[in-house]
Parts: sequence; C-alpha cells; structure tokens
Amino acid sequence: MINSVRNTVLSILNKNNYGYISPSDFNLFAKQAQLDIFENYFFDYNYQINKENARQSGTGYADLKQNDEEVIDSFSVTSNLTVVAATNTFTLPSDWYLLNSIFYDAQATPAVPLRQMERVSQKKIRLLLNSNITSPNTLYPAYTMEANLLTAYPITINTQDDVVCQYIRYPKDPKWTYVDVPTATGEPLFDSTAADYQDFELPVSDEPTLVVRILEYAGLSIRESDVVQVASSMDNRETASEK
Amino acid sequence: MAYISAYQYYENGGAAPENANWGSYQYISLQDIVNNFLLMYDGNHSLVNNEERYKILFHAKRAVQELNYDAFKEIKILELDVCDSLRFVLPPDYVNWVRVSMYKDNLLMPLTENIQTNYSDAYLQDNNCRILFDQDGNVLKPEYSGLDIDRITSQQKSIYLNENNSLNGTEGWLWEGNWYFDYAIGARYGLNTETANINPTFKIDNKGGVINFSSGMAGELCILEYVSDGLYNGDDSQITVNKLFESYVYAYIKYEILTNKLGVQEYVVARAKKEKTALLRNAKIRISNIHPGRLLMNLRGQSKWIK
Repeated sequence: MINSVRNTVLSILNKNNYGYISPSDFNLFAKQAQLDIFENYFFDYNYQINKENARQSGTGYADLKQNDEEVIDSFSVTSNLTVVAATNTFTLPSDWYLLNSIFYDAQATPAVPLRQMERVSQKKIRLLLNSNITSPNTLYPAYTMEANLLTAYPITINTQDDVVCQYIRYPKDPKWTYVDVPTATGEPLFDSTAADYQDFELPVSDEPTLVVRILEYAGLSIRESDVVQVASSMDNRETASEK
Repeated sequence: MAYISAYQYYENGGAAPENANWGSYQYISLQDIVNNFLLMYDGNHSLVNNEERYKILFHAKRAVQELNYDAFKEIKILELDVCDSLRFVLPPDYVNWVRVSMYKDNLLMPLTENIQTNYSDAYLQDNNCRILFDQDGNVLKPEYSGLDIDRITSQQKSIYLNENNSLNGTEGWLWEGNWYFDYAIGARYGLNTETANINPTFKIDNKGGVINFSSGMAGELCILEYVSDGLYNGDDSQITVNKLFESYVYAYIKYEILTNKLGVQEYVVARAKKEKTALLRNAKIRISNIHPGRLLMNLRGQSKWIK
C-alpha cells in the first residue's frame, strides 16, 4: 500500500508543479500520518460506544465499533514480561501503546488459569496492601506502573514468566524503500524486497486518509498553503461522513 | 470453576481429604462471583462501568459477611473442655454467639447468659486506696480481679437458682417431716423466672475474647454454637456463597457501587435497591425450606389436647 500512497501523494503534489518530496521526507510524513490515524481509532472507538449507548448505531454492517475493534486488535501482542533480578518488578515491552490485560501465570502443576492483574494507582496501592479484605493475593493480583517498569503484588510474583502482558503496540514505522537506478523520469525505483522495507499497517480503507494526512505535512513542508487547505478540508469532510 | 466428575466429588480424585468436595454443588465460589459480575454487570453498555476490581471484590466480601451473620443460617459448632480457669477462649473466626450449652450426662443443656457481670478488670491500690503505677506511669494490675478470683474459687454467689445461690443451704422450713432450703426445688412464691435456672451461667468478654463461666462449669464440656463472617481468615479460595443467594450478591454489589457513584440518577439507585431487597427476601424464603412435608409435621399436632 505504501507505494500506492506515495504515488498518489506525488501525483497530487506535482499537479501544477507544486513540488516534490524526497523518499526520506515521505517516510517521516508517512510515520506521522499513520500514528495520527492509529490514535484516532481509539477516540473513534469511544465515540462509537457512546453512540451505541445513546442507541444511535446499528448492528451487522452498521456496527462501526466492531470495525474499530478489529483494527485495534490487529496491533495486539501477547508476551511474557522480563523480571528484574528476582524482584516483583518487570520490564514492559518497548513498543507498547496501551496495556490491555496483564495476567499472573502461577506456572503451577497441574495448570491453573491465568489470573487477571489489576492496575492500581500509586496513590491507592499502599491502602490496598494494608486492607485485610482487598489486599492483593495470587487470586486477585494487582500491579502498579513506574516509568517502563511494572511492579506486581503480592510480592511473591517475582519469577521470570510470572507475568504475561497483552498489549496494543505502536504501528511499525513505514518505510518506502528504493533502489537508486537511473530511470527515464529520474525517480528512485520502489523496492519492496529491501530488508528494512515496511508497509503501512493500517487497513487499505485508510489509504485516502493517509494520502490526505501526508499531503497536509507535505504542503507545510513545501510552503503551499493551497495543498494544506485542500487536504485539511478533505480530511474534515471524510471525518464528518464517517460519523 | 469447572464442574467436577462424580469421582472428584465423592473421593476428591483419590487425594486427601476425601470429603473436600462433598456438598460443594450448593455453593458458588467468590472467584466465580467476581468473575461473573465483571463479565455480566460491568462494561461499556452496563450501569456499572470502569469500576476497579478491588471495589467489586470488597462489596462481594461484605455481602458474604452480612449473609453469614444471619441469612445463611450456617452455624459453626465447637466443643471444648472448660478447665478450672472457667474460661472458653473464643474461636479465631468467631463473630457472634448463637447458643452456649453444657454437654453432661449425654444431654445437651443450654446455658443462660448471666444478666450480671461475672468478670472484671482491676487496678492495684495501696492501703489508702490510691492507685499504684509502674515507672512508666502505667497502672499496675493484678492477674485476676477479686470478682474473678471469687468466681474461679467458687466463692461468688449467684442470683440464679443453682448451687451458688446466696440462699442455697440456708435454713428453710419444716413441712411434713422434710426441711426445705433451696430455691432450686421451686419451693418459693414470686419466682424470678429470668434467673430460675439451675445450670451454670456464662458471660462473654468480647474484647478479652473469652467466655467466663460460673464455677459449676469447671471440668465440664462446653458446646459453642456461633456465627463467623465466612471469610475463612483471608483465604479467598475458600469463600463460597450458597447458590440461592447468588443473584442477591450480584444485586448487592451493583447497588453498593451505584449508590456510591457520583451522578447516578436516584431512580436508578432506587431500582437497584429494590432489586437487592427483593432478591434477599426471596433467598431467605427459599433457604428457610418451608415445604408441605414440614408443615404437615407441624399441623399433625394441631388437634392435640393441651392438658
């Protein structure tokens, strides 16, 4: 999809000889555009839930929330967290955007089900630990977060693979790769076999939005206010039509 | 929790103790309750949303405690010997007593709670009745108060019609060749029925964690029927609720969350309260086991002549 997006962007930009963006600039704009759209999925998901609660959305093909869920789930990753030297502290993955579920794996024989761990704020954790009734235990474990570390409670959760994390990761940075061979137009030639090639991870239905967003960034870059305005109005129109 | 096979039920799968699963089908575990509540009553399209699990767990446990105090009718029973100290230390999961009995001569004899006190704290005093202190300014106390010593040494007199009654053994009157002395035999008019009991008496020292008996209990076997709070000393895996109360517990949690949440309309809170109350009433009726067979047994005595 990335080549198609780039071709469309260049095609629009070159109209009336507005300008040209280099592959490295395109890659930077593509990353920003993808992050914008990725984050919008979460806002839109919440919007759709509110519409459902107001009984303003339908089911089946009209279930837009499901579409958002599917896209978000395509970024879902489940992995074991690395323990920090036999403490109850675990290192979070570097690419997490949202920690959806944290589980405690007792690693017992016979196997016991994973227990969902509950996120507790730093303000509440001491109160919780001092409570007879609700103090975290292996049936109802809890965790707090600090920087890129997760602290598990009770403190007996302290061995490698004790904590399993299901999270939504950031999309990988898109990269339009090319080979620098002389062509008739002087354009670099798209090469999807390069080791660092990375396509967009958003669904194809987001291609128009990607084009518009990249155009906005490109318009700013080449100081063409017309491009920015057109792209911005297209973006607004698209957003309005999706509500 | 998963359903278990008949072998698991009857013989615990060959593991000890064999009776671990007997009767377990009557109950639902706390884990299931919290899990089911989060699944069914909490979510984007539910009245309860974005609530911390520890709040749900707290309210679930509070419901279990409240139900254990009366509605469950699950009485725990403990038998212990009462030694010369005339004390029965309350069990670790004791919350309130239902009945205290003496088991003697193969008979269970319910004991009466003494309407007077039979124990006391005491301070040491000098000859001028001045209270004595230690070097840190704390009051010095004897091991036993005078009241306690008298009770333990069987010196304390009782207003009950037992052997420690102050009038026991005093001179009575002669009637048809017999001397009558004791209140215990009922030969007195104007009997105070509240204290007309020959059995030993007891008084519970709740803060001290003991039941103090009158001297007649020395060396006897005491049966304590009591209620606990059902929390099994913090072992969450042991906590269960009778299935007849399952819906009530969900309703209780929902009500407690809604009533404490900002911005919930009053009619929603009122609806939750009504639901909770109705479910508790239904469950209590169900667990009281009123069925025709039982009523029939009671009604059989309806035409019996009372002489």
